Amino acid sequence: MLFGNKVVVFFSKPANVILVVFFVLLCMLTLYPLLTLVSETFTVHAGRESIATGQKRGTLSLYSFKKLLFTLDDGGEQGYKSSTSWIQFYSPLFNTLSVSLLSSFLAILFGGVVAWLVTRTNIRFKKFISAVFVFPYIMPSWTLAMFWSNFFKNVNVGPGTSNGIMAAVFGIMMPEWFVYGFFPISMVLGLHYAPFAYILIGGILRNMDANLEEAASILKTPRWRIVSRITLPIVMPAMLSTLLLVFASTMSAYAVPVFLGSPVRYYVLSTKMMSLMSTYKGQGYIIASVMIIFGVVILAINQSFTGKRKSFTTVTGKSSQISLVNLKKANWPIALILMIVLVLLAILPLVSFALESVIIKAGDYSLSNMTLDFWIGRNLDYLDQGDANGILFSPKVLKALGNSLLLGISCAVIAGTCGVLVGYGIVKRRGTWLSGAVNNLSFFPYLLPSLAFGAIYLAMSGKLPFINGMFALILIGSVKYLPFASRSGINAMLQLSNEIEEAAVIVNVPWWKRMTRIIFPIQKSSFLSGYLLPFVSCMRELSLFTLLVPTSDTLLTTMLMQYSEKGWDQFGNAINLLIIIVVLIINFAVNKLTGASIDKGIGA
Amino acid sequence: MPEIILENITKMFGKTAAVDHLDLLIHSGDFITLLGPSGCGKTTTLRMIAGLETPTEGKITIGDRVVFSSEDGINIPPNKRDVGFLFQNYALWPHMTVYQNIAFGLENLKWSKPDIESRVAELLALLKIEPFSKRYPSELSGGQQQRVAIARTLAPNPKVLFLDEPLSNLDAKLRLEMRTELKRLHLSTKATFVYVTHDQLEAMTLSTKVCLMKNGIMQQYAPPLEVYSQPANLFAADFVGNPAMNFIDAKAACRPDGSVGLKADSFSGVFMPDEKFKLDCSDVVIGIRPEFIGIHDEFQPGLQGLDATVYSNMPSGMETTVKLKVGETILTSVIFRGVDYPVDKKVGISFLGDDILLFDKESGLKLVSGSLKTE
Repeated sequence: MLFGNKVVVFFSKPANVILVVFFVLLCMLTLYPLLTLVSETFTVHAGRESIATGQKRGTLSLYSFKKLLFTLDDGGEQGYKSSTSWIQFYSPLFNTLSVSLLSSFLAILFGGVVAWLVTRTNIRFKKFISAVFVFPYIMPSWTLAMFWSNFFKNVNVGPGTSNGIMAAVFGIMMPEWFVYGFFPISMVLGLHYAPFAYILIGGILRNMDANLEEAASILKTPRWRIVSRITLPIVMPAMLSTLLLVFASTMSAYAVPVFLGSPVRYYVLSTKMMSLMSTYKGQGYIIASVMIIFGVVILAINQSFTGKRKSFTTVTGKSSQISLVNLKKANWPIALILMIVLVLLAILPLVSFALESVIIKAGDYSLSNMTLDFWIGRNLDYLDQGDANGILFSPKVLKALGNSLLLGISCAVIAGTCGVLVGYGIVKRRGTWLSGAVNNLSFFPYLLPSLAFGAIYLAMSGKLPFINGMFALILIGSVKYLPFASRSGINAMLQLSNEIEEAAVIVNVPWWKRMTRIIFPIQKSSFLSGYLLPFVSCMRELSLFTLLVPTSDTLLTTMLMQYSEKGWDQFGNAINLLIIIVVLIINFAVNKLTGASIDKGIGA
Repeated sequence: MPEIILENITKMFGKTAAVDHLDLLIHSGDFITLLGPSGCGKTTTLRMIAGLETPTEGKITIGDRVVFSSEDGINIPPNKRDVGFLFQNYALWPHMTVYQNIAFGLENLKWSKPDIESRVAELLALLKIEPFSKRYPSELSGGQQQRVAIARTLAPNPKVLFLDEPLSNLDAKLRLEMRTELKRLHLSTKATFVYVTHDQLEAMTLSTKVCLMKNGIMQQYAPPLEVYSQPANLFAADFVGNPAMNFIDAKAACRPDGSVGLKADSFSGVFMPDEKFKLDCSDVVIGIRPEFIGIHDEFQPGLQGLDATVYSNMPSGMETTVKLKVGETILTSVIFRGVDYPVDKKVGISFLGDDILLFDKESGLKLVSGSLKTE
């Protein structure tokens, strides 16, 4: 009886109900799929695996592990370097780690410097810089890769089909290492995630009490010593966790290595896994597991940084009185260089996509070679790229656009709403075991590499056939982007004092009414940021969906990938520009209407 | 020993002046309080002297060195001004232990290790925080953090010390305790203290001189007791003192014997000024400190001064604050004993002493002080 009472009391609190429901849901949506994935690695799949092992599909076997991890000498001429394991696993693993290291270092360096300039100095054009700097993050990740290859490709390197702008206009042939492989992949990923680092580090610096630096300055600390002994150590834990997040993101990048690596047979884990999925599924699933293990390790390292003796919560004092570092004579040059870099990074790609989408014959940028047919043409057979209509009149493209929007909006609504609820539950029951567990579970999908996550759901859809089509896409999108939404939900709830809700409880306002009439309206802009991020991410996401789409025409991004692979450049560039414009317009509209913004979502 | 001189200091934030043409002379060894309501520019002033904020124009001299001059383009950075600064939120470095926090400034001065050790030990003892030297700031209570912050500021023996509302985050009892210790520290360090506060009681009890500010403009700069008894204007009179001074609007007219006839709504009286002065306005405000309104328990109508009724009565033990109703006017009186007057009791009151003040109603400036008799 006593126990029964306890249960009733427990579930009479909405926060507990929410936590229990999400605990069960998240276990089903993240932990169960993980188990499925692991079991798939021990299973013989139809096709080549079945032929190679001589066993029926579905039988348990260590074949995939042996083949992928332990075949270091299969009699090739170059020893281990020509072995299956080296080519299929160890070399891509090495490449993945080196690319992720360099690119996350670049992202932190670039994003961090810009964040410092914007928050701590009197640099000019701050508004413009912070508005434009997030562009590369809003764009699909491979747009920069496309731009890179559009710009630098030439007939001497890689597949060498045509000359890019650099070769055609300036006559400069860049060497292969610069156009394809390790260097450009790291550069492009670094640049793509720099805004992400900028948003996170900017948030940290904004929240750091300037008095801490001023106190050192008063005690006669030289400028460099303030940075090295005060500023850096205080922001270091946050910087490290930023580094880990960026590392996790770059590790799972798929599209960029496809564009800049595959032409010269430079493989990373994600691209290798993708190619194995069509031949040796079991080995593909092993790679997915390895990527997930990396994610979990990163989460564990990140956790060990927080909750130490030195508490790094810094009380914000009179931050309005921050005295900004005067850049003096360096102000104009630094601002100018930054502006130029931003134009190259954020605006020039858009111009190049626009240009590439209107020229008829590649490499000829004269006005007579231009046409808007790829945008607004109708029934023109000469377009000859799988479609006789310009993208704005093509039923195929419009249907994909509709699907992408449907997917983005559904995921935003589901993930955003769940984020609000999870945030409410976690903050209300802070300190309890359940709250901590849901907190970790809701963040976990962030660390699952998109492609691996897609692979899990693919594996699961074999067992649960109802997971298919748009439903599968919406489900996986909502789960994958829940971390963004739950982060902003938690942040928003932390800023709300308990009394605000209690004042309503006293006068007997029901729970749903408290949520919709009091809590949500007060923190509207923070919560809405939690809706915006999943939307933007879904619109530009490729690797998460690419394994699950019924056909490549389903979504704009998968369609774009297909067009790029087939070399239908004009349509590809046009669709790319279409995606960016749609995302920018919606981002801008939501920002103007509600004050929500992307940087609020992850920042803070 | 340095002397601090501010000349014509102005700080603009956009189009509003946070500090407006401020002149200030601080003698060495002084304990100066910058006092005023929030947003009056006191913290900005302090930060400008320390070099954390750059004035829009003016000149600041510390000792015999010009540290800022808009005309000569001089702006010496805070780390070269030889000052100490205690922040309102303490600004202790969260990643350093108490010991490291205190030693950090000495390391910058390239002190030898034994010297640093003995100096830190000395400060830990002075501020009674020896047991905490290995702890991190987040493991200390507010009062302990406060002491660490003071120790860190005092460590390099600064000759000038700036304190920005250092006691505002402490509870009432600790605040009183720290107030005593700050005053003792001022004596033992012989340094010049510049102290920002919005608490008039802190200013009164601690400082040798109070600089009262409002909307970026200095209202009065004088020793605390002078600000109390001879406030320069209505704002100063109202801001300092608790309970606040009584203000009564009246019409004034000079009389041949040098006294002033006063006609208020609820009474009329004659004011004897302490010194000769020229009255060139007829609208004045009479300012009476609560302790200068005496109450006579034995009531006989018309016998002693004014007839009044007790409006409310607030005994606190040591003293009693009585609100009195005279006609339609409410006056506050403080008597130094515990009495519990019943509400609506009829009493007689009179105005005591010769520190009753007359202000010009229009300009708000103090005209003269003197004694007031009802008639």
